[in-house]
Amino acid sequence: MIKEMKTTNLIAILSLSYLLWSCTSISVFSPEAYKQAVDLKVESLELMSFATESFTNHEEDVIALTTKLKKAYEFSSGRPDNEISTKQWETLIDPERNLLGGFLKRWKEEEALSGFFITEMQALVSDAFDTIIGLESGKINPSEIR
Amino acid sequence: MPTFNDFVSTLKNDLLEFAKENFEEYKDELLKDGTYFLEKAKSDLERWTEGLVSGALSKEDFGFLLKGKKDLAEMEALKQLGLSKIRITKITNGIIDVVIGSAFKTFL
Repeated sequence: MIKEMKTTNLIAILSLSYLLWSCTSISVFSPEAYKQAVDLKVESLELMSFATESFTNHEEDVIALTTKLKKAYEFSSGRPDNEISTKQWETLIDPERNLLGGFLKRWKEEEALSGFFITEMQALVSDAFDTIIGLESGKINPSEIR
Repeated sequence: MPTFNDFVSTLKNDLLEFAKENFEEYKDELLKDGTYFLEKAKSDLERWTEGLVSGALSKEDFGFLLKGKKDLAEMEALKQLGLSKIRITKITNGIIDVVIGSAFKTFL
């Protein structure tokens, strides 16, 4: 009888611990996600610098970059407990918003953009990528989890 | 020629009007958030208003940059939220270790 009670208490405590853990859980650090974000930051800023030129001349590059960005978003969205990073990617690449996705859409619509505008947008997009990179690098390394 | 300070003063008045008309009960909070956003974005806004005045930026460019700054602020807030969760997870992991250790000591 006492042994049964002890086992029940132990299960209750372990369940509570699991509940506590699951309520606060966030994905662990992924070297692949980190590298993806760093690579895409460099590629995006590089391509943006050509936006003073005709969009038509760079359409293929924009399509290629957009595909990579969508892949990064899908990769993020497929990772468990990764909603916050996924929301960041969504904000960055959404063509209806005003960061990288919106910039590429505007370039297509206007055919070319002003140098001043591009430089300022590059600073914003660079900072936006840094928020993704900063969060990823702050995540707990799987080796630290017991 | 209007200066950046003129712009800040106009913006504060517009924010106040906007808050009064739409969110009377949250007026103070909205003004606080607006002023905080303004402080954080001040150097960018200074450059962008200069660009607007000189013609280097169109009205559309200026509006796009401002909205972009807002989107960036949202991404930064998400990062801070994520980092807070990570801190909590680290603390929780520590607590769980202690709870499990104590439970095993007590019940087994």
